[in-house]
Amino acid sequence: MARIEIEDLYFSYRPEEEILKGVRLTLDQRPTAIIGQNGAGKTTFVKLLKGLLRPTGGRILLDGQDIAGLSAAKLASRIGMVFQNPNDQIFKNTVMAEVSFGPRQIGMPEDKMRICCQKALEAARLTGLEEKNPYDMGLSARKMVAIASILAMDTDTVIFDEPTIAQDHVGKERIRQIIRGLAGEGKSVIAILHDMDFVADVFERVIVFMEGRILMDGSVREVFADRDMLERAYLEQPNVTRLCHELGYRGVYLKVEELLHET
Amino acid sequence: MKSISLYEDKGTFLNRTAPESKLLYILTAVSVPALTGIEWAGIAFIALSALLLLTGRVLKKTLPVLGVSGFIMLTVVVIQGMFRRENMTPVFSLGPCVFYREGLYFAFQIILHILNILLSFCVLMLTTKPSDLIESLVRRGFSPRFGYVFVSVFQIIPQMTETMGIIMDAQRSRGMETEGNLLTRAKAFLPLISPVVMSSLVNTRERAMALEVRGFNSRCKKSFLNPRVKTAADRYIQAMELALIASALGWRILLWLM
Ligand SMILES: Nc1ncnc2c1ncn2[C@@H]1O[C@H](COP(=O)(O)OP(=O)(O)OP(=O)(O)O)[C@@H](O)[C@H]1O
Ligand SMILES: [Mg+2]
Repeated sequence: MARIEIEDLYFSYRPEEEILKGVRLTLDQRPTAIIGQNGAGKTTFVKLLKGLLRPTGGRILLDGQDIAGLSAAKLASRIGMVFQNPNDQIFKNTVMAEVSFGPRQIGMPEDKMRICCQKALEAARLTGLEEKNPYDMGLSARKMVAIASILAMDTDTVIFDEPTIAQDHVGKERIRQIIRGLAGEGKSVIAILHDMDFVADVFERVIVFMEGRILMDGSVREVFADRDMLERAYLEQPNVTRLCHELGYRGVYLKVEELLHET
Repeated sequence: MKSISLYEDKGTFLNRTAPESKLLYILTAVSVPALTGIEWAGIAFIALSALLLLTGRVLKKTLPVLGVSGFIMLTVVVIQGMFRRENMTPVFSLGPCVFYREGLYFAFQIILHILNILLSFCVLMLTTKPSDLIESLVRRGFSPRFGYVFVSVFQIIPQMTETMGIIMDAQRSRGMETEGNLLTRAKAFLPLISPVVMSSLVNTRERAMALEVRGFNSRCKKSFLNPRVKTAADRYIQAMELALIASALGWRILLWLM
């Protein structure tokens, strides 16, 4: 399990426009969702964690060590990240070559690599498609290839940028199982999401970004209970939570099952 | 998105001048010296272009352009100065290399032409928004397809560099070393070319389809978003340019008749 501490993080692409304005938090092993309006700085934040961008102020400590001294390629074996658009990530001609690329790059031993790739393909339900060309697959299948190629790297921390976009119910269900599986293995999962129902269903901790700052940080229940604060960040509660509120129920319901259980 | 266009709106007189006037300026600057065959006409136009660029506050931006073409001009001087067939009168020598008067003079004329064309093009390109230029050409009867291809060139290159950056990031985050010496960077760069081209092609096809459903190929007469503005200044400038070309042509015909 990795421990990531973020100390007063500042970042700007151009000097006149600050994107992150002092982010301070510690990530633990609880599956964590990052939510916030478009342009709030979520993607920028996770790119900083990956060493793809360098902070203009503040530090990021990975297990107590400042990542400023590590190149993105060096960080790759510790933190994995699935990009928002699978087309940006996929560049090999077969699913197998794509999935084994990462493990090879970080110098994983051959036999461990075979096991990890197999496990990743299984989790993404791609077994049997190893020799297919990812370019011939649909968008949601390509996304699965992108996810599998990060899972195969067996990193302590896995970041997902908008994993549920362009996924139907079956795809979301699969992603849910993948995230649960990772959490079950004691890995840290961080995901940027716009789908509040999915957040309520799968995650334990929620961090709300607004205009480059952290507006809220707490358990799913705490965060989704605070309707007014969410509104300030232009966010809505999950559907079930809203429904129960409209029905005049006291308490905060996050999942359909909870509601059914009560009544 | 970054732009490869050299244009930047500085709110100067040249920015406000219609693209047609500047196109006509290129024509004048090139045709008048060529028609009259008078050397100082070329020099005069070079000076005029430089002055225009100075008032347009873009003179500094012509320096890289001149730097690149300076290399070509240097080779012209060396080759013509040393090896032109008519070479007879030696002027000076650098070690074993002897330069001749005839060749140097010829090189000088070529350089004048190059500079003249280059600077007059700079007057247009550095002070005109590419899309405005295309629009004025299309208005003049150029095919909109041509305009689209031209604008695409201005868009596709920055788009490709951007895609390249994103794809590089994705591979970097999977452990590919992209920093370091030239070999490391070349090794990282080469396998990424195909996805970049691939995604640009996909983008282009989508854009073409998006244009098509909005009636790009429709045969109706098209209207333009921006009203046509032709200021009094533009009218004077264009009249002057046409007059210059006409008189140069007249001069040529006169010489020819005599
Ligand atoms: N490469 C870049 N250069 C300059 N500005 C950028 C760049 N990338 C993002 N930005 C700006 O930074 C801000 C934050 O962008 P970011 O992508 O981090 O937002 P986000 O929270 O991920 O939004 P979304 O939900 O839309 O993905 C935006 O205003 C965006 O315009
Ligand atoms: Mg984003």
